[in-house]
Amino acid sequence: MRAFLIYTVDGVTNGMVYAAVALALVMIWRATRIINYAQGAMAMFTTYIAFFVIEHGTPFWLGFVIALAAGLALGAVTERVLVRPVESRPALSAVILTLGLLIFLEALAPMLFGAQVQSFPAPFSRIDLTAGGTQLYFSRFDIFTVGSVLCVMVLLFVLFQRTTIGLRMRAAAFNPEIARILGIRVGRMLTLGWALAALLGALAGLLAAPVLFLYPTNMDEVLVFGFTGAIIGGLESPVGAVVGALGVGLALSYVSGFLGSDLAPLGSLLILMAVLMIRPRGLFGMTRQRQV
Amino acid sequence: MLEVAELTVAYGGVVALDDVSFSVPEGAITAVLGANGAGKTTLVRTISGLVRPRHGSVLLDGAELVGRSPESIARLRVAHVPEGHGIVSELSVDENLRLGGLWRRDRAEQRVAVDEAYALFPPLAARRRGPASGLSGGERQMLSIGRALAARPAVLLLDEPSLGLATRLLAQIMERLGSLVAERKLSVLLIEQNARSALSVAGQAVVLSLGRVVVIDEAHRLAGDEALRHAYLGF
Amino acid sequence: MSALADDTDDESLGSALRRSTLLRHGVFFVALAAVLLVATYLVSPFHDYEIAGVAIYTIAAAGLTVLTGANGQISLGHGALMMIGAYTTSVLLQWRPGLPMIVTLLGAVVSTGLAGSIIGVAGARLRGPYLAGATLALAVALPQIPLHFAGVFGGNQGLNVASPTAPAALGADFPNERWLAWLCLAAALVTLFLLANLLSSSVGRRLRTVRDNEVAARLAGVDVARTQVLAFVISAVCAGLAGALFAYWVSITSPTGFTLTLSLQLLTAVVIGGLGSLTGAVWGSIILIYLPVLTGDLASNLSLSSDVANNVPLAIYGVVLVVAMLVFPRGLQGALVSLARQLARVIRMRGTVLPAVPSAPEQ
Ligand SMILES: Nc1ncnc2c1ncn2[C@@H]1O[C@H](COP(=O)(O)OP(=O)(O)OP(=O)(O)O)[C@@H](O)[C@H]1O
Ligand SMILES: [Mg+2]
Repeated sequence: MRAFLIYTVDGVTNGMVYAAVALALVMIWRATRIINYAQGAMAMFTTYIAFFVIEHGTPFWLGFVIALAAGLALGAVTERVLVRPVESRPALSAVILTLGLLIFLEALAPMLFGAQVQSFPAPFSRIDLTAGGTQLYFSRFDIFTVGSVLCVMVLLFVLFQRTTIGLRMRAAAFNPEIARILGIRVGRMLTLGWALAALLGALAGLLAAPVLFLYPTNMDEVLVFGFTGAIIGGLESPVGAVVGALGVGLALSYVSGFLGSDLAPLGSLLILMAVLMIRPRGLFGMTRQRQV
Repeated sequence: MLEVAELTVAYGGVVALDDVSFSVPEGAITAVLGANGAGKTTLVRTISGLVRPRHGSVLLDGAELVGRSPESIARLRVAHVPEGHGIVSELSVDENLRLGGLWRRDRAEQRVAVDEAYALFPPLAARRRGPASGLSGGERQMLSIGRALAARPAVLLLDEPSLGLATRLLAQIMERLGSLVAERKLSVLLIEQNARSALSVAGQAVVLSLGRVVVIDEAHRLAGDEALRHAYLGF
Repeated sequence: MSALADDTDDESLGSALRRSTLLRHGVFFVALAAVLLVATYLVSPFHDYEIAGVAIYTIAAAGLTVLTGANGQISLGHGALMMIGAYTTSVLLQWRPGLPMIVTLLGAVVSTGLAGSIIGVAGARLRGPYLAGATLALAVALPQIPLHFAGVFGGNQGLNVASPTAPAALGADFPNERWLAWLCLAAALVTLFLLANLLSSSVGRRLRTVRDNEVAARLAGVDVARTQVLAFVISAVCAGLAGALFAYWVSITSPTGFTLTLSLQLLTAVVIGGLGSLTGAVWGSIILIYLPVLTGDLASNLSLSSDVANNVPLAIYGVVLVVAMLVFPRGLQGALVSLARQLARVIRMRGTVLPAVPSAPEQ
């Protein structure tokens, strides 16, 4: 029972980090029909930026904010400079482009910041809390992880559903041509969408690094697990992505806890295949093809 | 006033519009008629910036529209009701209507414009929270027209608005449109398959055939000229 | 792969070559084999070793070309399939150290063929990002198996593989590297020959039909799912063969050799070379092997730190992929072909201006 609780808390905490990545992937997929395979690498890179400025004397929280801002900028620049020119090309072009960016960033990071594994500071204690003598199974950092991702998700929800800029972004994503004849600057909306997604990714990177350590490929598995969650959720649905990613987090935590940590990625593969065998477009996926 | 001059558009090798010139006066409806494939849709898509012409110009009160992006043309108060309605089916009815006037800054005015659309099309008001995908074909057409009007346009491009609308409703809309045209000095370009109803509301008519202008005349004269009607309009 | 001998006086041979693709490919590959054989003699054993590497990557990249280029399915997990081939070979050799290479290669081909058909069947209903995601999960998951079952697969240390020694008949001082290069080149040529014929056959047409328009293919009576699985199995078998040779080439099979990076590098090779063309796969593999060599030399000349030097090739791959998509969407092969066309046009234009050269042997 104790073990089960520990694994559950772990699963939820990791799942929230995967959920941030999954949501970022879904946001970009909905807006541009592109999977950003570089999402994890971008997050790794912005975390290195935080690491670098903190090492050089910047206070932790300022470094944290700098990394988030860097994510925002990196996402915007990526959309504007790299993605826009291939948008009208066959889907494979964009896939290869983002894979190229992934390879490039994973090579650039060690060139700039060194290849050795670094430990990245956690803003809060990672030691499990106790309440009145009874041991709890989560730490302040776990609370922060879950809380900050939830907080950003709520903010994004409000932005998309309750503001006019969000309405514009949704219109631009769902039907770019109609959006344009209504005077919506679709290009800007897509740039903003990529920027926000990269911000979410950057948050995931900052939350993952204290646990996984920081090295150039540290986000590869997080990307795969987040992507798995997003696919299970059906790629179209933000709620589906979060649910899927939490499911992946929990499942992996149980698998690695009860069966051995090497088997976690295998577990993720099996879950993914099982879901896709039953529903080739994910649990929340639409069977209807959207007109492009 | 909207002036189209020497407009030529081609899709690859297919010439869809060939040296088309005419003007749409303020405060009046100009009908564009023609058979399937005559180039009517191409014409409005070119005016609203979705299609780049090979040659020619489109002037709105003297300002060149060719070369501008569709979003900036929309911001010059050109509203386009595309062929086959073109609502955003993933959004709610209310959101679709709000999209029409979003590019303007004044929130209060935006709300007023949306409420006007509900007043004009009461069936929409009943479904304002529902998804636009749940609307019937006629309701979608109302939504699309209402959204265009919510933008408070100076030029309104209507591409076959009659599609899916009951005749009575169409007559109502046309009547309402007629009064708006006078009230707001609106220039309307009305594309119609149904030439008879279009000619009854329009001041001027342009007939396209295979991408060329074959007739420009006053609508009532065209409606009265049996030979022309037979040759190009089929009634 | 248009490798036609120039106009011969012998009418019957010329027309026979033109008519039969099989014969044409056969002639070309025999000629290429002869050239390569001589080439391996001309270079040092160290370079023979690099040539073997090019041959190995070519096999895997050619398989991926069939899948991604001809059939339009994307796989981000071909490194994992190579791993299956490599471990099959290594485990077989662990079990019977003296096993001849042909047996271990066949074993690898069979095991990856099986794995490929399982994955292919599971993935046949998946499209676009769903398939990419599944293969990506495969690329990350599979290297964990040897770690978990360390008893069989040697865990993190991996399994040692004795590299093949040249037969005594070739002489006592015949370098083993050259022998390995021969074996790998032979395997690569056979693979390319088979794939070239496959692609120009009705199967190749079927693959492309499915890629270009699935609905149309279905209407034309093509079994789309079977075609997809077939493409996956073919490319998996190639990856398995490449993986088996890879085990001999690096002499050790461990999970660290088959990271996600390998899968992405294979895709890089296919894309840089030019999607859909087998020649492109060769170009891509040459770049994959020689770029690190070149940048390694450059880095030591500039005395860059190892962190920088080790990552320059990867950075270049990344940049090349991005630039290729922005500037040359048809890859190196496509760029070369269009360059050649332009040159030909320039030459032809000259030809019309200049008077015909009387000595030109024209037919
Ligand atoms: N995107 C396109 N690509 C190629 N050709 C096109 C395209 N759109 C229209 N065409 C061609 O241009 C010509 C004019 O088409 P257009 O849609 O403007 O006609 P239309 O008058 O609106 O017809 P309808 O009454 O059927 O709506 C037709 O021959 C059509 O086939
Ligand atoms: Mg039309």
